[in-house]
Amino acid sequence: MERSEILKQFEPANENMLNILHALQNNNSQNYLSEEDIKIAANYLNTTYSHIYGVVTYYTMFSLKPRGKYIIRVCNSPVCNMENSTKVIEEIKRFLSIEVGETTDDKRFTLELSECLGRCGKAPGMMINEDVIGNLDNVDFKSIFENYN
Amino acid sequence: MIDGINLIVKRGKTILDIATENGIYIPNLCHHPDLVPSGNCRMCMVEVEGMRGQIIACKTPVEDGMIIRTESQEISLIRQTTLELIHANHTQDCTNCYKNNQCKLQEVTAYVGVDEKRLNSLRRTKPIIEEDGSNPFFTLDHNKCIMCGICIRTCDEVQGTNALDYGYRGFETVVSTFGNRPIKESVCESCGECVVRCPVGALYPKEEKLPTREIKSVCVYCGVGCNIYFGIRDNKLVSAKGDKNSIVNKGRLCVKGRFGYKFVNHPERLTKPLIKKNGEFVESKWDEALDLVAKKFSVSKGNKFATLSSAKIPNEDNYVIQKFTRAVMGTNTIDHCARLCHAPTVAGLVQSFGSGAMTNSIDEFTNASTIFSIGSNTTAAHPIIGLHIKEAKRRGAKIIVANPKEIDLCRFADIHLQQLPGTDVVLLMGMMKVVVDENLEDSEFIKERCENYDEFIKSLNEFDLDTCEKITRVPKEKIIEAARSYATNKPSSLVFAMGITQHSHGTDNVLAISNLAQLTGSVGKESSGVNPLRGQNNVQGACDLGALPNVYPGYQKVTAPEVQEKFEKYWEVKLNPDNGLTHTEIFDQIEKGQIKSLYQVGENPVLSEADANHVKKALDKLDFFVVQDIFLTETAKYADVILPATSFAEKDGTFTNTERRVQRVRKLVEPPGEAKDDWWITCEIAKRLGGSGFNYNTAEDIMNEINEVTPIYGGIKYDRIDEVGLQWPCPDENHPGTKFLHKDRFSRQGGKGKFFPLTYKASVELPDKEYPLILTTDRSLYHFHTSTMSRRVKGLESLNKEELLLINPRDANQMNLKNGEFVTVKSRRGTVRVKTNITEICPKGVVSLTFHFHETPTNELTICAIDPVSKIPETKVCAIKVEKIDHK
Amino acid sequence: MIQEKRITLKNLGKINPESIDDYINVGGYKAFEKTVGRHHIEIIDEMVKSSLRGRGGAGFSAGLKEKFTSEACLRCEQKYLICNADEGEPGTFKDRIIMENDPHLMLEGMLIAAYAIGASKAYIYIRGEYYKSIDRINKAISAAKEKGIIGKNVFGSAFSVDVEVKLGAGSYLCGEELTLLESLEGKRGYPRIKPPYPAEYGLYGKPTLINNVETLATIPTIIEKGSDWYTSLGTENSPGTKIFTISGDVNKPGYYETEMGITLRELIYELAGGIKDGKAFYAAILGGAAGTFVNESVLDTPMGFDTLKEKGAVLGSGAIMVMSEGRSLFDMTNSILEFFKHESCGKCVPCRIGMPQLLHIMENLKNNKIGRIEALDLLLYESEFMAKSSLCPLGQSPILPIKSLKQYFENEF
Repeated sequence: MERSEILKQFEPANENMLNILHALQNNNSQNYLSEEDIKIAANYLNTTYSHIYGVVTYYTMFSLKPRGKYIIRVCNSPVCNMENSTKVIEEIKRFLSIEVGETTDDKRFTLELSECLGRCGKAPGMMINEDVIGNLDNVDFKSIFENYN
Repeated sequence: MIDGINLIVKRGKTILDIATENGIYIPNLCHHPDLVPSGNCRMCMVEVEGMRGQIIACKTPVEDGMIIRTESQEISLIRQTTLELIHANHTQDCTNCYKNNQCKLQEVTAYVGVDEKRLNSLRRTKPIIEEDGSNPFFTLDHNKCIMCGICIRTCDEVQGTNALDYGYRGFETVVSTFGNRPIKESVCESCGECVVRCPVGALYPKEEKLPTREIKSVCVYCGVGCNIYFGIRDNKLVSAKGDKNSIVNKGRLCVKGRFGYKFVNHPERLTKPLIKKNGEFVESKWDEALDLVAKKFSVSKGNKFATLSSAKIPNEDNYVIQKFTRAVMGTNTIDHCARLCHAPTVAGLVQSFGSGAMTNSIDEFTNASTIFSIGSNTTAAHPIIGLHIKEAKRRGAKIIVANPKEIDLCRFADIHLQQLPGTDVVLLMGMMKVVVDENLEDSEFIKERCENYDEFIKSLNEFDLDTCEKITRVPKEKIIEAARSYATNKPSSLVFAMGITQHSHGTDNVLAISNLAQLTGSVGKESSGVNPLRGQNNVQGACDLGALPNVYPGYQKVTAPEVQEKFEKYWEVKLNPDNGLTHTEIFDQIEKGQIKSLYQVGENPVLSEADANHVKKALDKLDFFVVQDIFLTETAKYADVILPATSFAEKDGTFTNTERRVQRVRKLVEPPGEAKDDWWITCEIAKRLGGSGFNYNTAEDIMNEINEVTPIYGGIKYDRIDEVGLQWPCPDENHPGTKFLHKDRFSRQGGKGKFFPLTYKASVELPDKEYPLILTTDRSLYHFHTSTMSRRVKGLESLNKEELLLINPRDANQMNLKNGEFVTVKSRRGTVRVKTNITEICPKGVVSLTFHFHETPTNELTICAIDPVSKIPETKVCAIKVEKIDHK
Repeated sequence: MIQEKRITLKNLGKINPESIDDYINVGGYKAFEKTVGRHHIEIIDEMVKSSLRGRGGAGFSAGLKEKFTSEACLRCEQKYLICNADEGEPGTFKDRIIMENDPHLMLEGMLIAAYAIGASKAYIYIRGEYYKSIDRINKAISAAKEKGIIGKNVFGSAFSVDVEVKLGAGSYLCGEELTLLESLEGKRGYPRIKPPYPAEYGLYGKPTLINNVETLATIPTIIEKGSDWYTSLGTENSPGTKIFTISGDVNKPGYYETEMGITLRELIYELAGGIKDGKAFYAAILGGAAGTFVNESVLDTPMGFDTLKEKGAVLGSGAIMVMSEGRSLFDMTNSILEFFKHESCGKCVPCRIGMPQLLHIMENLKNNKIGRIEALDLLLYESEFMAKSSLCPLGQSPILPIKSLKQYFENEF
């Protein structure tokens, strides 16, 4: 979608800043906020580029780097950590051959860590884009990742 | 009560404010009195009886009966522990730091103390972040940054630029530009305010030395007249610092004010008189040069002679120069560059109000509820007034900007009226139509204080909003919105500049403005009036002191016999009763062979005059041409004799700023070589020509004479303006000066303001098939006028080193232009070569250039179509074409 | 056998959360309809009398908060109600359960509160990762708008209200109410300094009431059944019910809504099925990361704001993270401190530089550069200083787990 079409869905008001940035990021085929995205948002909201840059770098869900089609967010909060999320992270790293923060060569997956995702009843947990997957201690990552093409 | 001392306090102040006012020290690092408290350094912890724990003094308002302790064991421990954390992350090398001994962290540490043992346990190696030295004037060293946020808040709250902000978060937080790129690549305007305020050495100036003494004077760039403490070391200017107590700039400065003084030390300054011999300039002795000038001038007295004075030199110099022209050379043909900027303002406002100056004071802007800026690129051309407008905005004022271009001020505008260049009368009359149709006019004001209303009302009929929209291209809804805001959200203050005046109907534009102000009763009141922003540092003063062909000092008419008589008596000489010629007429008469000798002080018409080729041709025809200046300008190359003058930094005198405030200019350093004060040089010429009354010893002597013959300057004495300047009219020594004009009655004869019926007159040269684009001219923040001074400041030059043609992407696409490629711009009068800057700042069909660069002499393109009343040329509108350069 | 007592989860599993008709059929929006027919002061009085305490963790009286906001200025052009759905406290997922399973209940609570304080605009600030909650709430708002329950002159009254969802974007601190306001204003999540409180200076400087999801979801039932009924539940100082989210080494981790006053032992052994693998109970962390460690001596303490406080513990968000024997307190503490460091906004000195210092002490302990007792004392010293000098609750948080470690596990850390 054209950026201008996205912006039209929101009033140019400050309280829509994060919603707008989410929408622009989701619309970006590489799942990130480009400088162009930021500039357009700033112009629309009548604020400065550096202000939005400050906002974007503050919130962890926004990325300034191109990312894969699917973002894997592994919860690394105290509960999941106790339930061995560290091992989960290592396994995913090995399986996808990337480090945390990196994107697979085929641009499919980006691996990120997350704070508590509110799935502590099924720890350790993670999200792949909008899907939540819990009880990761004994799963076959191959079969999970196969569903995401 | 603080620390046992009973204090009576004002509500609304914080504990820290009160403590500071009463000399009680509370350590702090992130506080600045101008800024909203942010409370992040946690140093100013105090205890208040009845409140739990420690609270921060910078954010807590005082209340009746509060009992405050600024010291306790607990407080000391908290402060010390916090301070140790700061030190743990701060570069330890104080001795090599610019701020050593002036550092606020050192100050706080000396007071609070640190435990070296804990500090050592906290310290660990941290990766060194590379310095950002991209800005020519200052460096950012993250390793010294204590994250107080003062730079960020200043950039936002004071400057409204927000080039810097916080980036990232937590321990990784940094002061960052957009994209965390070098500062020079950001929107930073290099005002340097953050550098001045940085409490540590994280932001520090380049090439600045600590001065051995500081002297207060006035900035020499624009008409705002900021007060500056100049630092001096070894007879050189080494620093500049805004005067915090100045009512004009409240300590703030723009990039030119803060860093632009460096031209004073430039090696190309003229140091000896030069005489052209066989086409070459040869250095000479003063006597030889002055004798030659006197000899040549003696044969072209009367209408063979013309003087171009200067809006850059002090009032005293201007007074002497006009006196010389009138009393010695026997002609009133003296003019200066005001002709090219605000002649229509004077012509228009004198007719409608009786006085051509800004009606209000600069500091009144902040209390206006609506500010309407039309034809003024305020933040670029008058940056500190721009700050006042931004402050008004923060206080809730509505800002209306009328400008063909999307100028920087539009970021702060509630309404942007983007009229086509040259259609201001229509826009303003349209607004007035709305005011009248919606009964928003101030009937009482009109009835009591104005005349000719009925005639004016008739002329409104032709401006129905559909017509206005068609001509101006401003949607009528916006015209209505602007009119309502200006007419109802009072006090309303209007500012304007060259965008209004530099038209063949410039006087009409000004009259339209005065109509609007009268119609809504928005003049003659505090924070409410009509405010032409004057361009040069002393253009107001040059006009005031009679460097004009039709008036003696104080706007006393040349053609009035009683005035002539008064000056004849005072100067003991017979005077010419006829008005002299204006700037543009002078060049016409030179070309026609009528004027033989030209005495030019500090101007550069080869770059500044419309249709500059015409000027060059004229200069070639002169018998004798004397230029008095500080640098060898493009125009000085045509001279027969060049006389080296002192700059503002080397002389005493006064400048009158745009708000009519007469301020002291002080000698800061000795002049280079044999350069002399302008008044001294003119007096020497006058005396050689037998003139009497030119035996002044100091600039103050001249001011004393000005007091006697210039009623509006009657009470302006050096001892009265030592600290704060006075605003004219100030008729006698007991008069406090005048904050705003036309209170109760207009200064026009009869005391009433006058409405003028107006019609729309199109600009003289409109785009057509052959020349399809409108060229309008503008200013850059980084340069001034023809850049004689500013381009000799390395840093300013590096921030803006070449002309760029601003052109809309749609126009650029049509011609298949790339951003940054060289193109040819042609008008019927000339051709220049320039790089493109493809930008939405210009609307489709309009392109824009400045005239700061001799490599791109924009005024060879502009048209010398003259406003019949004020004789100003139409430099804001001409037709041009842009051609791609074929590189094959 | 102890039973759950469900108020905020009363419709859970009984209705289709995406069907407003289902909700109305079980009596939904009746309380709101009743509300708009009453004077707003009556509603506030009812809320004050119910003694409902904020379920976000701080436990301040919800009724008083309404009262202050309502009284902040009588002729304000604008007041705001904000639902704080930025759930991020580790171990907590009660708000998500409500939003995913009964979005209308929370909405109804919001509408009642908005009416009580005179707010015509309400926002729900949901954390960005809660996709399903966002979806469910958005659907609920649309449905309620269609039915005229949100909009102009609802139920024929003079009251008009609009509700919008705003997303968080990954910042724990934005769940702190003043920081939430900054975030909602499109800024970095930097905390504001109190006072002024949001009741008087909130969103865009206007009086604002900010309530947690669970708090708001309790309101319709209080209005429906009355404050007397509500105060008959729970304990004297902590009336009503609470959702506890139990995670870690229990057989049935999950959410349980019970009356206040239930003991930890009952929660773990009766509702959550006891400790996994038949192991012994070792420790629990109550209230999330910004919570407190307790040992078995607290197992029989009734859960309530004040009863736990007496034990040096906190109820907080109702999170209970259970650790069985053999678990490492060091690892858990380290994980908590890593979390805080990651979420520190960096605005004030003590938190920005202090958090890494705490982890540095942990590292020194791990590398045997310092001893256990010394490490714990250092942590206590630094975090105590942070608690005193930090700008917002985040910097004041590490003291909670660390002090409780010292109290309950000084010799085992």
